[in-house]
Amino acid sequence: MTSREEILARLRNNRPHSTDYVLPSLPLLGERTATRQRFEENLKDLGGQVLEQQEGEIFSEAIARCFPDEKVICSAVPEFDGTLRLENIISPQQADKVDVLVVRSPFGIVETGSVFLSEKELQHRNFAAHLTQHIVVLLSEKNLIANMHVAYDQRTEFREARYGVLMSGPSATADIQGVLIRGAQGVRTLRIWWE
Amino acid sequence: MKRSTPVNHAKAAEKFMKDTAHARFHDKRLWDLRQKRDQQMHLLPEWQELRTLASQIKEHTLAHLPEYLEQFEANALKNGVHVHWATDAAEHNRIVGEILEKHGVRTLIKSKSMVTEECEMAPYLTQCDVQVIETDLGERIQQLDNQMPSHIVVPAVHKLASDVAKLFAQHYHTAPDDDDPHSLAWAQRLAARPVILSADAGMTGVNFAVAETGSFVVCTNEGNADLSATVPKLHIATLGIEKLIPRMADLGVFIRLLSRSALGSPITQYTTHFRAPQKGSEMHVVLVDNGRSHRLGMEEFWTSLKCIRCGACMNTCPVYRRSGGLSYGAVYSGPIGVIIDPTFNERKYSTLPFASTMNGSCTHVCPVKINIHEQIYQWRGVLANHHELPFVKREIMRMVGKILGRPKLYRAMVQGAETTLNVLPRFLLYRTMNPWGKNRTLPRPVQQTFHAWYKEHRVKKNRNT
Ligand code: SF4
Repeated sequence: MTSREEILARLRNNRPHSTDYVLPSLPLLGERTATRQRFEENLKDLGGQVLEQQEGEIFSEAIARCFPDEKVICSAVPEFDGTLRLENIISPQQADKVDVLVVRSPFGIVETGSVFLSEKELQHRNFAAHLTQHIVVLLSEKNLIANMHVAYDQRTEFREARYGVLMSGPSATADIQGVLIRGAQGVRTLRIWWE
Repeated sequence: MKRSTPVNHAKAAEKFMKDTAHARFHDKRLWDLRQKRDQQMHLLPEWQELRTLASQIKEHTLAHLPEYLEQFEANALKNGVHVHWATDAAEHNRIVGEILEKHGVRTLIKSKSMVTEECEMAPYLTQCDVQVIETDLGERIQQLDNQMPSHIVVPAVHKLASDVAKLFAQHYHTAPDDDDPHSLAWAQRLAARPVILSADAGMTGVNFAVAETGSFVVCTNEGNADLSATVPKLHIATLGIEKLIPRMADLGVFIRLLSRSALGSPITQYTTHFRAPQKGSEMHVVLVDNGRSHRLGMEEFWTSLKCIRCGACMNTCPVYRRSGGLSYGAVYSGPIGVIIDPTFNERKYSTLPFASTMNGSCTHVCPVKINIHEQIYQWRGVLANHHELPFVKREIMRMVGKILGRPKLYRAMVQGAETTLNVLPRFLLYRTMNPWGKNRTLPRPVQQTFHAWYKEHRVKKNRNT
């Protein structure tokens, strides 16, 4: 008997009477308003920020204003070049040198201020989202989803992506004496740019 | 099999409590997590409904586990993932060792995984000449200090920043007197990056595995798990078979409960869905039994398999908060440890079900509604069945005397004929000492007098033999 067969046989033997335990159907629970304001509040709770557009400013100017000292600005979006295009990165070692990554997210979740990224947006360089020091995520208000239930119900990305991450603010830790530190081992800051 | 000596939890706890600076911080920090959890709970009017759904989904899945495991496997294979089955810890370690050997792996970077702790994988791989590096900050601290994690969510919660400063000075050559958590966390980032960039393989645990898609989800905060899974060309994920859930949509329920219960944050910073290997990479999943199928057959204890490892029961437990996770001498500590450790080794962990006040607070906070305190009570019954009365009395005595600090009062009461086994500590806590009992209603523990209870179990035992 293989280990697989052995485990399955033991489970069949030992399990509680299976018809006693019915799978519940899932109601769409939770707050259902999907406003930009609520998204921003929840994003900030988790340490994320909004890159506010100043009067008459275009995106590249906002990036220059926000990151005056950063040298390697890597872009994964067609309309902005940065200093390096993501498709030209061929190794994690190269991505480790990136200061700022600019990428577009297909949707955000209001309840938690999360943005979704997959290999599609990251052009099969998933590591780039975590090796870069800072990340700026372009997001459209019309792609806001109210909460997790609705997101899993409606967004096909969860079923299609090979790798799909919900990022909710920057990396963080409180492992040393309970002190919350934003910017642990992944991105040190996460900013949303509304488009 | 060699007979192991029972863990002396009370003695280890006493030692932990002597160091007041550590003990005070530990208690305060965990209580703070409990309060943050409460705040999150109050923000969601549907909280109790979520708990009920989570419990029902898990019970259903466990009752249909063979079918869901087969479905998960079939879908994972379709996605191009390699699936392995391990009956026990030794087989798990051998499987991982073989994958690594085949790929010539010398360095494995790891994010947090309780299953690998349970299997004692790191020492095994070290023997196979594989360097295993923990990348989670708390886990890394524990690895450098040669200790088990003391908490399933915050592994180094029993340490102060000054302890970390000493360890990092020794291993990372930071200034020994710099105990600023910010600079220590920065030192970890700087030390981990080159290791991550040059590692040959990465390993993660799994929070939820979805049968209908063959994908799995990892919930973390530091970014180290995503780095471990995306930078090397080989990703191994290892999971206990109880991590299955049927549908993608079930994640809505569990993700909403997990981090709120664990840390009092609405979600972990990273919620990552792995379905298939990255382009040009390989992905392996190891499904681990290691006693779980046996536990599924234990009528009183199988629902402990619903556990999603949030740690809320630990944070709320007065005994855990006072005694520290390491005092349990087991991979799983706190209330959840108390009810699952004896299934791994009944003799070694026979003392743990007495490390409880039976106040029911654990049951009250558990997001998947495990009747933890009732199972603790039932374990006492099982153990009384297998031990002598003096053992049971002594262990309760130790817990109350050494950990709760009221030996005289307790002794007086334990000798009274109408003494109940579990109400006493509750009385001590909620009337006499009361720091945790304020303004909260707790479920009443099971009512039965000690003698009635003992007699019942003796009778059972005599019948059995
Ligand atoms: S038993 Fe419940 S409260 Fe404790 S860790 Fe498991 S899920 Fe969380």
